[in-house]
Amino acid sequence: MTFGNVIYRLVTGSSWHFAAEISRLSVIVASFIGISYAARKGRHISMSAFFDLSPRPVKKALAIIIPFVTAIVLFAVGYFAVLYTHGIYESGRTTAALQFPFWLMVVAIPIGCFLGGIQFLRNMWINIVNKEIYLAQDKKDYSEQQETQI
Amino acid sequence: MLWTLLGVMVITLLLGFPMMIPLIAGPLIMILFFMDGLEPTIMIQQMAEGISSYVLIAVPLFIFAADIMTSGRTSQKLLDFVGAFVRHLSGGYAITTAAACTMFGSISGSTQATVVAIGKPMRQRLLKAGYKDSSAIALIINASDVALLIPPSIGMIIYALVADASVGDLFIAGIGPGVLIFIFFAAYAFIHAKIFNIPLAPKADWKERRSVFIKALMPLGFPVIIVGGIYTGQFTPTEAAGISVLYALILEVFVFRSIKLKEIPDIALSSGIVTSAVFVLVAGGQAFSWVISFARIPTMLTDAVIPADPTALQVLVIVAVFFFIGCMFVDPIVVILILTPIFAPVATMAGVDPIHLGVVIVFQAALGSATPPFGVDIFTASAVFNKSYLDVIRGTPPYIVILLLTSVLVIVFEDISLFLLNLF
Amino acid sequence: ACGGNDDGADNGNTDTGNNGDNGEAAGDIEPQEWRFVVEETQGQVQYEYAQEFADLVDEKSGGALDIDVYEFGALGSEVDQVEQLTQGIVEFAIISPGFTGTLVPEGNIFALQFLFTDDQETNQEILNESEAINEQLVPLYEEQGILPLAFWTEGAMQWTGNSPLQTPDDFQGFQMRTQESPLILESYEAYGANPTAMSWGELYTGLQQGAVDGQENPIFFIADANFNEVQDYMTISNHNMYVTMTTVNPDFYNGLDEEVQQIIDESVEEMRERGFEIQEEQNNEFLSQIEDDEDNPTEITELSEEERDAFRELALPVRDYFRENGGDQAEEILDTLEQEIEDMSGEDIGAGESGDDAEDEVDNENSNNDMNEDEDDEE
Ligand code: NA
Ligand code: NA
Repeated sequence: MTFGNVIYRLVTGSSWHFAAEISRLSVIVASFIGISYAARKGRHISMSAFFDLSPRPVKKALAIIIPFVTAIVLFAVGYFAVLYTHGIYESGRTTAALQFPFWLMVVAIPIGCFLGGIQFLRNMWINIVNKEIYLAQDKKDYSEQQETQI
Repeated sequence: MLWTLLGVMVITLLLGFPMMIPLIAGPLIMILFFMDGLEPTIMIQQMAEGISSYVLIAVPLFIFAADIMTSGRTSQKLLDFVGAFVRHLSGGYAITTAAACTMFGSISGSTQATVVAIGKPMRQRLLKAGYKDSSAIALIINASDVALLIPPSIGMIIYALVADASVGDLFIAGIGPGVLIFIFFAAYAFIHAKIFNIPLAPKADWKERRSVFIKALMPLGFPVIIVGGIYTGQFTPTEAAGISVLYALILEVFVFRSIKLKEIPDIALSSGIVTSAVFVLVAGGQAFSWVISFARIPTMLTDAVIPADPTALQVLVIVAVFFFIGCMFVDPIVVILILTPIFAPVATMAGVDPIHLGVVIVFQAALGSATPPFGVDIFTASAVFNKSYLDVIRGTPPYIVILLLTSVLVIVFEDISLFLLNLF
Repeated sequence: ACGGNDDGADNGNTDTGNNGDNGEAAGDIEPQEWRFVVEETQGQVQYEYAQEFADLVDEKSGGALDIDVYEFGALGSEVDQVEQLTQGIVEFAIISPGFTGTLVPEGNIFALQFLFTDDQETNQEILNESEAINEQLVPLYEEQGILPLAFWTEGAMQWTGNSPLQTPDDFQGFQMRTQESPLILESYEAYGANPTAMSWGELYTGLQQGAVDGQENPIFFIADANFNEVQDYMTISNHNMYVTMTTVNPDFYNGLDEEVQQIIDESVEEMRERGFEIQEEQNNEFLSQIEDDEDNPTEITELSEEERDAFRELALPVRDYFRENGGDQAEEILDTLEQEIEDMSGEDIGAGESGDDAEDEVDNENSNNDMNEDEDDEE
């Protein structure tokens, strides 16, 4: 879209005023919908020094508690995001250039938080039912991985 | 209130929670328990706001372009070309990396985009040349952050507006400290390479240089178009990011045929995960900085520390400490907007040159952004290189020391920033 | 702050004169802390206005009513601030209609160029007195949870460019940076320019590198943001004025004691004149600063009456665009306002010259459709 904007501007000397809005929408959608996918792959950034150095039982406990609390926080944020999105929906606000309803711009936030919360619950569950320690559903703890990390 | 906020953040951080939790739960608890009558929905508004800036859109695009180029052959050819000129020099690759990051960072206006666009290919070559991963990543992060000082610098533009100074003068004044840092980085790279015995490759002859140059011709169009395009005003940094995606796609898919079209969705998905991991933190950071601004915490703190009749040096040191710590936690632009109006009048009364003050402030903003715990460039590096947070920050201390040392020099000797201005 | 109060007393308003003298009369007011957020940074017009307003309210209430002014940047973007006012997170805000164009499209009326006169004092008088604004437009904001207490100007808008801008011809192919409002974009397209939306944070570099050729702003903002450093020409075009509103959250305001409401109302009234003076002082001061800046010379010219007419003629069809796309009440409000401006200024600003009768409207609809088709083809 941004690229199209340049070409269009170079060719016609004018601009797609809505390029910025579409890009903004995609960034919000990608960021929040991506929470659950990154959670599944264990790609969220964290400071793992204490975790890495802990003895196995502590590690196991943390591997259950951390995703649980994270899920709770995400559900709480998701709940407030529903309220926020609903408020925008009621106000009837639209975007400046494309004039489409503004609530569409932010609706990815509640959806992403709830999907993310569910995925963190699954990360917790896999640590409850399995003996091994999982950093995420698709990622075992570094010390228990057979294959080397790239 | 402040202690609860910091307590929640530090504990969740140290226990190894995903970094978004300290940034989100901290402000959430503040609003729910300490700020009467405030609806937590305000957090959602600010999280959306945090990732709505037009400049930020360049970041996912550069991530995508860099992913395409490193999956294919573009970056390989570019690096062969650079290598033919610097591989026989002690610290040659490191110095080239520092120069490339600083240059790209200054024109793109986004240090995150720089970590991705330059850092990703350069890191591979640094590893190949025998550097440890932690020193390679630390170099990339710090050299990218120095770009905040090099014109055109958005930090300086914002400072100029708030403090009523000339942007042009600030741009000139930033050159001295910028060059000084670069010299120190280069010296460190040279010494580091000697100490750690980074092996030198044989010097390339002109025949080889010509051959890699010809092979790199098409990929060389990439920096030429991006840098030239932005400098001549053909497009904005965000648009340049869009162009680079297309250029990378054309080269890899149609010219080199090193990537099949059906592999593109997988690359896009991986870029998407990296974007998400970083941007959720940017969103949380905005909610955090809203809460502390709303609670007037910056004013409370500054009121407590500014002495009655400060000397110029006292003011500069206090300013440096505040901006450094502020930028360790919050976006530099927000820090400049909030703290500058508090300090600028005090500094003027103490006889500090406003241009010099601006350079010191932007310098500290750059330094704070590269310093743990909450540097956005550290997050970006962690996500892009798929390295743990600790691995990313392990190599940063030497650079932080260099930057601290330089900032002491810049604070004490105002001529480092002002001498170029005085020449004209 | 003291100066503000003296000036308030000078303008012959006996009520305020008394209040200013004995603030302790209001001793029974329950102490309250309020927040007032503005769209500008410290030292700029809105911030100074809000600070003086806060001082007035403090004084009139004997120190019971404490207003904390939040500068731009502390609480998010301008649009965020609007939401924060409607939710009662802040009690007061200065809101420019341009940032609420999607909530109250009728408010975009202030983006129309060459609608008001080039005499700012007359314009401020119109803003104070106009029925179209204070009786027709205000309720539309109230429906959205924004209660405007006063409309006021931060000064006339001027053009700067890297080439002279004196006639519509100068705008042919000119890359003009504007705010992201369809009506403003439409206005510059009518002159033949290529308007581009860009955030002001990117604008300095954009002008320096030539991504855009020019921009529009009040003088104080042009100088404060240093745009004159990277522009060679400035035209005193007075093509419109930057209008902003002092607003309050309606639920909060209506829930206040009558006595407190009266303090607010009086302060707003006194600030009408002070607001005008603040912007006048700043714009004059910054104009001399641009003139005297020898390192970055800027050639400054003014539009003559004939030159204004040439632009106004091209700007007239944009008024019809506004009548049709500016919301349900747009036509009624613009018609009333045009009449009021002509009555109060005695100038011919082109009221009723187009768009008033049915025939014209059909023509315009056709031409609008044509334009849309053209755009579709190009995309
Ligand atoms: Na820069
Ligand atoms: Na930071």
